[in-house]
Amino acid sequence: MGNTNPIAKILKNSALLLYALFALFPLFWMLLISFKHDREMFNTIFVFNPTLENYRVLFSTGEYIGYFMNNVFVSVGAVLLSLAVGVPAAYALARFDFRGKEDLAFTFLSFRFAPEMLVILPLFLIYQKIGLYDTAFGLIWVFQLISLPFIIWILRGYFEDISPEIEHAARVDGYSWWRVFLKINMPLIKPGMVAAALLSFIFVWNNFTFTLLLAGQGVVTTTVASLKYISSDTVHYGQMAAAVTIAALPEVLLALLIQKHLVRGLSMGAVKG
Amino acid sequence: MADIALKQVTKKFKKNTVLSGVSIDIKDKEFFVIFGPAGAGKTTLLNLIAGILVPEEGVITINGNVINSLEPEHRNVAMVFENYALYPHLTVFENIASPLRSPKYRQPEGKIRDEVERVAKILRIDWLLQRLPSELSNGQRQRVSLGRALVRNPEVFLMDEPLTHLDAKLRHQMRAEFKEMQANLNTTTIYVTHDYLEALSLADRIAVLNQGRIEQIGTPDEIYYRPATEFVAEAFGEPEINILTADLVSKDGSMHLNLLGDSDHFAVPGRVRQALEEHGGDTVRAGFRPKDIKYNFTGDSSMLRATVYSFEPLGAKAILTVQADGQLIRLIAAADLDAKPDQPIYLKFNMEEAIFFDSGTGRFIARAGEKGVRSVG
Amino acid sequence: MSSIGRPDPSVPFADLANASPNRNMDKIPPIPFMRKARPYLILAPALLLTIGILIPFFISIYYSLTNYSFKYKDYSFVGLENWTKMLTDPSFWHSVWVTLQYAFFSTGTEMLLGIGVALMLNQDTRLAKALRIVLIFPLMIAPVIATLIWQLMTNNSVGVIAHALRSIGINNFLWGAAPKTAMFSVVLIDVWVNTPFVIVLVLAGLRSLPKAPFESAMVDGGSAWFTFKTLTLPMIKPLLLIALLFRVMISLQEFSIIFALTRGGPGDTLMSLPLTAYNEAFTYKELGAALPYMLILWVFIYILSYYLIRYWSRAQKNASGS
Repeated sequence: MGNTNPIAKILKNSALLLYALFALFPLFWMLLISFKHDREMFNTIFVFNPTLENYRVLFSTGEYIGYFMNNVFVSVGAVLLSLAVGVPAAYALARFDFRGKEDLAFTFLSFRFAPEMLVILPLFLIYQKIGLYDTAFGLIWVFQLISLPFIIWILRGYFEDISPEIEHAARVDGYSWWRVFLKINMPLIKPGMVAAALLSFIFVWNNFTFTLLLAGQGVVTTTVASLKYISSDTVHYGQMAAAVTIAALPEVLLALLIQKHLVRGLSMGAVKG
Repeated sequence: MADIALKQVTKKFKKNTVLSGVSIDIKDKEFFVIFGPAGAGKTTLLNLIAGILVPEEGVITINGNVINSLEPEHRNVAMVFENYALYPHLTVFENIASPLRSPKYRQPEGKIRDEVERVAKILRIDWLLQRLPSELSNGQRQRVSLGRALVRNPEVFLMDEPLTHLDAKLRHQMRAEFKEMQANLNTTTIYVTHDYLEALSLADRIAVLNQGRIEQIGTPDEIYYRPATEFVAEAFGEPEINILTADLVSKDGSMHLNLLGDSDHFAVPGRVRQALEEHGGDTVRAGFRPKDIKYNFTGDSSMLRATVYSFEPLGAKAILTVQADGQLIRLIAAADLDAKPDQPIYLKFNMEEAIFFDSGTGRFIARAGEKGVRSVG
Repeated sequence: MSSIGRPDPSVPFADLANASPNRNMDKIPPIPFMRKARPYLILAPALLLTIGILIPFFISIYYSLTNYSFKYKDYSFVGLENWTKMLTDPSFWHSVWVTLQYAFFSTGTEMLLGIGVALMLNQDTRLAKALRIVLIFPLMIAPVIATLIWQLMTNNSVGVIAHALRSIGINNFLWGAAPKTAMFSVVLIDVWVNTPFVIVLVLAGLRSLPKAPFESAMVDGGSAWFTFKTLTLPMIKPLLLIALLFRVMISLQEFSIIFALTRGGPGDTLMSLPLTAYNEAFTYKELGAALPYMLILWVFIYILSYYLIRYWSRAQKNASGS
C-alpha cells in the first residue's frame, strides 16, 4: 500500500496499537498479578512488591504439576498417533487415484468440524463400557478428531508438491519404495510436518470439553483444572494467575520459536512459505 | 550386457489405452531411439522398461528373463528423466552419488568419491559438486541428471528426452557431445525424443511410435528412405514431405502418374512399376521430399507449371510454398531468393526419389533404387 | 547378437507389431500381490481410524431413537419421540437462536476485525513487524483459560477492567451475570481468542499477492478502496473462505467459553445447542433426549461445510487463474 499520507499513517498505527492493547494486555496483566502476593491483591493495581510465593505454592502442592504433565502426555501422544496415521494417509491421497478419494479427504476434514458434544455423548457411554473412560489412551483416541485433519490436510499439499519423477529416480537408483519414503519424501515434507504437528499440538493442548467429560480424576489436565478456579470461591487470585501463566506458557513459547511454520500451517498450505 | 525385448505390451490408464500391442527387440549395446510426437506413449514405454509401471498385457524381458514383476530397484537400469528429477535437498555430489549409496548398488565411500569426480569431470560439472539443484541452470541440471546415470554400470541406459528443455544452441552442442558419448558408452541405450534430427543422428535403429502403436522399426536410412507409413514419412523431414494423390495411367507402354493435373511428366521408374502393378489399384499416394523437387522461374516443357504461394525465410534457407492444381507444395530455397506471390514457377520432380504409398492405408508400397533397404546377413 | 527372425527383404518393411498378431503369446506373469496391495495398505491405518470414529456417530443415531437414560439400566426403543419432542419444544428453538447469534456475532466481528488488522499489519514498519509476531498469542490460549483471564479482569474486587470502569463511573457492569450483557461477554472472549486466526490467514494472503496488478492499478490511479475491492478481495478470497469456514464451523458448536462463564445462564440466555445437550445428558441424565440436539447441529454443520468447501475450491481455482 503506497500510502504516504502522514495522517493516515498515524491513524493506522494508533488503531494497530489499540488492537495490540486489547490482545496483549490481558496476558500481560495475568503475568503481572501472578507475582502479586494475596495481601496486596486488593489494594494495589500496578505498583506492588513482586513475589514468587504463588508459584511456590503451586509447585509445592504438586497437584498442578501433575496436571501439566498429563497435558503433555496426552497432547504429545495424540500428535504422535496422528502423525503415524496421517502421514501415510496424506501420501495416499496425494499419489493414488481411487474412487471416492475426494469424499474420503472431505471426511477427514469434517472431523475437525464435528461438534465435540456430539462425539462425547455416545463416547461417554462406550468408553465406560470398554474401559477407556478416564484413561490417557481414551483421550488420545478422541483427540484424533482434532489433530488428524490438520496433519492430513497440510501434508497432502506438501506431498503433492513433490514431483513423482523424483520418487521414480530413487527407485531406479536402487532404493525400495519404503526407503524412498524415508530418504526422499520425509526430508522434503519436514517443514510441513513441523507446522502441522505444532498446530495440532496447540489445539489438543487447549482442549477442554473432551477432557472434562471423558476423563474424571484419573486424567486431569490444566484446562479442566482451571475450571476449579472459576467456579470456586477461592480468593487466591495470585495462584490462579500463576496457574494460568504456567498453562499458557508452553504454547506462547512455541509460538515464538516457530512463527514461520505456524503461519504456513494455519494457512493450510494455501500459501507457500 | 543386455538385450531388451517387449512382446505385445499394452498399457492402460483407467479407460485410456496408452500403448497397444507394442513389440520391440533391442540388441545389446545398441543405441535405440524411440521417436514419436507428444502423447505417443514414449515416456510410458520407458517407465515400463524401468519397472515404474506394470503392463496390462505383454511381456518385458532382459536377456530373455521375464521381468514384469521385478521392482525397479532390482532391474539394474539407469534412467535420465525429462525434467531431471534431481533430489532438491541433496548437493550435486550427493545426487550423483545416490545410486552408489543405495542398498542395491552400494560401493565403498572412497570408490564413490572417485567415480563421482570422474563423471563430473567428463561432464564438466566438477566445479558445481557442492551446489544444490536449485542453484543450477537447466543445462547444468541436465548434466547432473546424466551424471547420476553414468556413474552406474547398468544393463541399459534409459533417456527420456534429455535435450528437450534446453535452449536451441545448447541442444545443438549437447547433441554433438551425445554422439561422442554414445561411441564410448558400450551399453544398450534406449533414447526417447520427438526431435527427428536427434533420432536420425544418434540412432542405430529407430522405433516410430504413434498413439501407442509402433509404425515402424528400422535404421535411420530405412526410416528416411523407406518410411512404412505416411506418418513416418511426414515426421522425418523439415519441411515436411509432400504427399500427393495421383492416378496411375499407361502411356506409351510405360506407367505415368496423373499428378497435379499433369500426366506427361511423371514417369514411374521400372522396378516401382512392377511393385505398383503387383499391389493393384489405380490411384496411389506419391511422396516427394522438398529437396527432391527442383524449380526454375523459366521453365521448359519437361517441367510442371505452378505459382508461388508464400516464401518464409528461416535463417540460412527458406521454405518456398507453391500452388499447383489447387494443392500446396513445399520446396527448399535459398534465403535470398526473390520470389513474389502469384509469380509463375516451374517444377521438376525427381521420380527416382519418390516414395509411393497405398492411397487407402497410407502404407509404403515401393520406391526406386536400393536406398534404405534392410541389409541381409 | 541376433534379433528375432530375419525379415523378408522383398517386403520393404517388417515392423514386428504387425508381423503375426496371432502367434503364440508367452503367458503374462501376474503382478505380485504385495505390489498391488501396497496403496491399500498405506491407507489402511487412516481408514481404520475413520471407521473407529464414525462408530460413535451411528451409535448416536441409534440411541436418539431410544429413551436411554443414565439413571436406569433398561431402555426401550421409542422411535422418533425424542425428535418430535425436541422440535415442538420452544426451548429448542431458543437454543437454535442462541447458537446462531453466537456464531454470527463472533465470526462476523472476527472477520471484520481480522481483515482490518491484517491490512494494517501489511506494512514494513518496525512496529508492524514486531506486532506480527506477538499478536498471535491470544490464539494460543485455551478458550477456557481465556474465560478465566477475562473473569479475573472484570472481577469487582481485584480486576483491572472493573477498576477502570469504576473510575469512569460505570459500577457493577454485570458481564456474564446479566441477560443483557451475557452474550456480549462470551462473544468478546471468543473474539479475543480467535481474531488472530483470521489475521494470520489474511496476512499470509496479502503478503503473497503479486505486485504487478497493484502497480498497474496505482499507475491507473485508482483509490485505495477501489483497489481493495476489485483486486485485493478477489485474490485473497480463498483464504477468506478458509477463515470463514473454520470460524463458523467451530463457533457454531462452541461449548467451553459459555460453559465456563455461566454454564448457559443467566437463566437460559446462553443455552446454545451444545449447552442444552450437555444439560439433558449430564444434568437430567437423559441421553436419548440429548442426542437429537447435537445430531441436528451436526447435519447443519456438515451441509454448510460441504458447500463452503465447494465454493472455496472454485474460488481457489479462479484466484490462481487471475
